Amino acid sequence: MRLRSFLLFTAPTLLLMTALLALPLATTFWLSVHSCAPQFDLVTVQQSGPFGPRELTTQRARLDSRGHPVENCKFVGLSYYANFIGLGGSASGQAADLQQAGAPEVASGTSNRVFLAALSFTLLYIAATTPFVIFFGMTLALCINAMHRRARGFFISASLLPFVITPVVGALCIKWLFRDDGLVAQLLAIGGVHIYWMGQAWSAQLLVILYGIWQVSPFAFIVFYAGLQSVPQDTLEAATLDGASGWQKLRYVVLPHLAPLIVFVSLIHIMDAYRVFEPVLVLTKGAFSTSVQYLTYYVLLQENNPYKASAAAVLTLTGIAILLVPLLRRTWREQRGLA
Amino acid sequence: MKLRRRVALGILAGMGAAALATRSYRMATRSGSARGVHLVGNVFPAMQHLARIAQAQDNGELHVSFKLTSEFESEVEHAFSSGGESAFDAAAVSMSEFTDLYGRSQIAPMTDLVDKHGARFGLEERMLVRVDGEVMALAFMQNTQNLYYRGDLLERYGLDVPRTYGQMVQVARRLRKEEPDLQYPIAQGYGKGFDVAIDFANVFSSLGGRYFEPGSAEPAFNDAYGVEAIAQMRSLMPYMTPNALASNADDVMNQLQQGRAALGVLWASRAARMDDPLASRVVGRIHFAAAPAVHSGGPSAAHLWWDGFVMPRNAGPGREQTFLVLMAMLSEQAVRSGNDLAIWVRSCYRPGRFGRGVALAEAAGAPEWPGEPFYGLLHNELGRVLPDALSGQRSPEEVLNEAARAFRATAQQKGYLREGSA
Repeated sequence: MRLRSFLLFTAPTLLLMTALLALPLATTFWLSVHSCAPQFDLVTVQQSGPFGPRELTTQRARLDSRGHPVENCKFVGLSYYANFIGLGGSASGQAADLQQAGAPEVASGTSNRVFLAALSFTLLYIAATTPFVIFFGMTLALCINAMHRRARGFFISASLLPFVITPVVGALCIKWLFRDDGLVAQLLAIGGVHIYWMGQAWSAQLLVILYGIWQVSPFAFIVFYAGLQSVPQDTLEAATLDGASGWQKLRYVVLPHLAPLIVFVSLIHIMDAYRVFEPVLVLTKGAFSTSVQYLTYYVLLQENNPYKASAAAVLTLTGIAILLVPLLRRTWREQRGLA
Repeated sequence: MKLRRRVALGILAGMGAAALATRSYRMATRSGSARGVHLVGNVFPAMQHLARIAQAQDNGELHVSFKLTSEFESEVEHAFSSGGESAFDAAAVSMSEFTDLYGRSQIAPMTDLVDKHGARFGLEERMLVRVDGEVMALAFMQNTQNLYYRGDLLERYGLDVPRTYGQMVQVARRLRKEEPDLQYPIAQGYGKGFDVAIDFANVFSSLGGRYFEPGSAEPAFNDAYGVEAIAQMRSLMPYMTPNALASNADDVMNQLQQGRAALGVLWASRAARMDDPLASRVVGRIHFAAAPAVHSGGPSAAHLWWDGFVMPRNAGPGREQTFLVLMAMLSEQAVRSGNDLAIWVRSCYRPGRFGRGVALAEAAGAPEWPGEPFYGLLHNELGRVLPDALSGQRSPEEVLNEAARAFRATAQQKGYLREGSA
């Protein structure tokens, strides 16, 4: 193909990818290394309202001639990143600590390791959910595939429900089942098991992980079920004639056939799990389990700092890029004909 | 050639679509600013009532919309700080948002409009939130935290209504002993974030603590008062469900409604829901008192709040039209038709069994919610770390120091503190 034709064919894609991916990413990175804040003046004001008058010494944003707040913008380099991963000694470290007998020495940077804490739970979530998602998805697919054709429709629809339900609604349902007086909590209590699921780190994290397995297994199931429909019947028949047991047919015929799908589901789930957000928000509000995606949300909405949130977003994206390396390598090798 | 022609046609079509979209957008925004009034507020029954009144003003001549959203805070923040015209002509905000918006000079005074129309609509002085004489907000409802208690149980066991945290623990201990089903008689929302920080603020203020050094945003709450406040909060925890660290105000309300708790400090605005027969198993049995003080003789561990309407500095034309819609929502008729939905500011409000909360708190000495614009940042940081101290994972001193550090960093990023200041 001539270079000119090649460029013409690829130009629309390149333009779209530049506009929709590269530019937003570049803007996010630019934001993450800058910081803007209004200029404040110290003022003492008299305020009155429903509860009477009071005097307040406070701060007020300075306005320019057009009535807009005057902002100071500056380049802050990688300080937000350093702050997130606990490297930077931020100016905040100058706060006067409590100097009391018995007060433990505060490890510098404790508060700054929020990203690492979020990352560690996110990785735990990925590691804990992925094998179970594959296992339950495969088990469901095999069971439903072995059913009578007429029964399959009902069970396929029922199995897909957790995946169809909006994640926030699904997480709320799980929360109501497990909270005080929730159905599961009550049933366990009748059996003598008293667990307050949101009360401790292990149980809160377990609940988020259980939600993840419950919500994503149907996706794995439907992919594997589709794959099972294309398992070569003649190979299975040949294996039967050779005296292979059910397990041997599964082990040596079905699973090798589904291997590319297992890799596909694993990779998709790993990337999805890295962005886990809804169960963390709904089930624990970040207590005991903070994910990297929740961190971005928290910084953006609670701290209302788009610059810092951009740094969290870039860190999240870096994580996804690292997770994508095996997939990209595989694709590259396939395209090169090396696979 | 064909390829080149197709590419050229594609580009032309794209440009045409963009021009059409721009024109439509301009027309939409022009009609929105000149002939429309767009409002925003949080979602709760009183606001829904006001939204209905606002939308009743919508007619062929005037388009009125009222966006009710639990994300109103960020919507207001983005609209009011926008470089162009604000998407909303007015917003219903609570005190904490008001102080934040006022501090960032994002709200406009309404003094001229109040002077022009106030008398005609019977605006009362206590509805006018004035800062240095300028009317910056129109308050319409009040709120606070009250003690909710099971009157039937306290009467059965001859117990007095607790007036201090110590008495609250004593009552809880007795109820647990007498009522085997009440393993956790106290319900408090210590969930990470806003809820747990509210409880801390209530206790801290009742103790007499101060959040900042006078006249600055320098944090001062990481002191003995802060440690004592956490200790007082922890003293209730043995009588609260172990899930308390993930509980919010909804969970507290639910525990009280289901008879799973007998004491709890909760928003006064939720009182009526205790007698909702569809949701409550204890209709008529929950009573209300001022939130207990931390120590005998101290002020009630609660804060006084108001909600009001503000107008943005970057409002489009039609301020007067917006103001007139607000007047419809703040009218005596609006209060009378929704009397039991809120504790209204207007004097025509007739408080029923559920409407005395603010008066109780005021009489018990509860202070107003902190008025510093940077308090919200501190509230966020406290809400983030306090559960660690309450669960015993870290010491109170450690989490308070961490909150102070994190607050300083955020306050510097936001411009409230200069870097290097200490």
